[in-house]
Amino acid sequence: MIDAWYPVGLISGLTREGRETLLMEQPITVRAGKTGKPEVVTADGRSLPIVERFGHVWTSLGTPEKDLFTIPEADHPERVLVDVGVVRVKCSPLRAVENFLDIAHFPFVHTDILGAEPHTEVEKYDVKIREEEDEVWATKVKFFQPQAAKSAEEGITTEYMYRVPSPTSSVLYKTCPPRPGEWDVICLFVQPLTETLCDVWPWMALFDEDTSMTDLIHFQQLIFLQDRSILENQIPARLPLDPGMETPTRADLTSIAYRRWLKQHGYTYGAELVAQ
Amino acid sequence: MPDLMPPRRERLEILGEVNSPSFVPWIKRHSGRLGLEASAFSVAPGRIGVTVAGQPDLIDALEVGCLLGPIDVWVSAIDRAPVADLI
Amino acid sequence: MRLNASSPWIPLALSGDIPNGTVIPATLCSKPIAIWRSQSGQVNANGNRCPHRGMRLSHGFVRGETLSCIYHGWRFGQDGACQHIPAHPDVVPPASINCGPLQVAEQDGVIWVAEDQVESQPPRLDGLKPLRSLVFCAEPEAILTASGGTEVDLGVEATLAGTRICLLLQGQAPAETLCLVLVDQATSPKACAEISRALEGIRRRAEGETEKRGAA
Repeated sequence: MIDAWYPVGLISGLTREGRETLLMEQPITVRAGKTGKPEVVTADGRSLPIVERFGHVWTSLGTPEKDLFTIPEADHPERVLVDVGVVRVKCSPLRAVENFLDIAHFPFVHTDILGAEPHTEVEKYDVKIREEEDEVWATKVKFFQPQAAKSAEEGITTEYMYRVPSPTSSVLYKTCPPRPGEWDVICLFVQPLTETLCDVWPWMALFDEDTSMTDLIHFQQLIFLQDRSILENQIPARLPLDPGMETPTRADLTSIAYRRWLKQHGYTYGAELVAQ
Repeated sequence: MPDLMPPRRERLEILGEVNSPSFVPWIKRHSGRLGLEASAFSVAPGRIGVTVAGQPDLIDALEVGCLLGPIDVWVSAIDRAPVADLI
Repeated sequence: MRLNASSPWIPLALSGDIPNGTVIPATLCSKPIAIWRSQSGQVNANGNRCPHRGMRLSHGFVRGETLSCIYHGWRFGQDGACQHIPAHPDVVPPASINCGPLQVAEQDGVIWVAEDQVESQPPRLDGLKPLRSLVFCAEPEAILTASGGTEVDLGVEATLAGTRICLLLQGQAPAETLCLVLVDQATSPKACAEISRALEGIRRRAEGETEKRGAA
């Protein structure tokens, strides 16, 4: 997992003095270099590799085998790109991703926003680990929602796709009411500070001409703060790779596929190997 | 209280690197947790077979749990087939 | 210091701490639990971890005679058994899916919880009535010293503002002790207020002592 790319800051938030932060317990400084380009430096002066993408600065403590993933849909010129801003959460970075992949909690955690009783049933959907891209994908996910997006006027059945292209990043594609046939793109990029502390960087690429940037940001922040109160109160803190003390059901298939993929790769930073 | 869906009896074949001694006890525990009857275990290289009976959604849940299983197994696939009840 | 030498019943809340339809967290001998009161007034206790995916049940909500987990709405009855899984509404959850029910008794204005099956009733608190509950950032020994009282089976007996009081003490975490304050049945409201004020003095002394010992 040390060779993966991780988000460590907003491109728009870079300063010359820089921001001190942690990546997998290593202190790093993220700053704008003399030419304005981002620099990430460890405490002992080592310069780390950089990618600028999706409004964020990405880096790695190791040697990434491939380039950071892409999201072609996000390149559409009419998309509104939204840097939501960082939220610190006292939880495993892997728990943050697992929660993002979950829809069964919508009626209870995001009541009357992303879901509501009695529309709680989670119908069968498809999940697979795509061998070639080496990514987890969930498709044909559907859920009835009273107010699916800031731009939605009434309840609709929203369709979703979920994608995990790297251990602590996830991309959600959801049906876009003003543009039938297109997907709104909502991302969670998670910076692991330690195994039980992370900085979450949400990011979006939407078709929405009507809602102000402030409202779009507030909406996503509200959703995420509701999730935070869940994330900070789950036992055990690390993500179990053995579900022996849990009761996953078919509705949890995306979470289980994510855990399988982590297990397959030996991505265990923030994971619990034995059921506690 | 909803009507109980008609119980099903199915044979699950769990394929992969599954021959750790921890796995059969794990499956027994997990199916007990789900209120399922688990019987007729068979163990061969690369496969564990088990017959389970109970509510269909809970058999689905057992499959989901077994896809992960204990840390020392790797399940590549789970095949399922209905088992006719002997009358 | 013996806190609960003979009885399997552990005092963990005052009746007034848990109104109808609410749930609170507590610690039963280092084990996190949830104590809740149904809409009809029945007190229940169980482990504080949803069997689904490990969410703390003390963050959940009470509806009627059931407790629901806030994460995915899994619903548990007073026997601890799961009654409903909202994502799969047609499933009849088996009793094996449960949140670890514990025995509870409500007596003399105090809520008692036992870890194992108990035949007996909780100890009687004759002549005493509950005043309030407090959490001290202190060890039980420091509370004993600060109160100037004597150690008894479940905590400390002392005299405060001229009145007999009893502090039921339960460690919740290192340097964190739950204190259920009971006073003589005949204590007047005025005296109760004086006792409450005097308790703050005990708290300051006990917490100060614990801090000193911690720093040493």
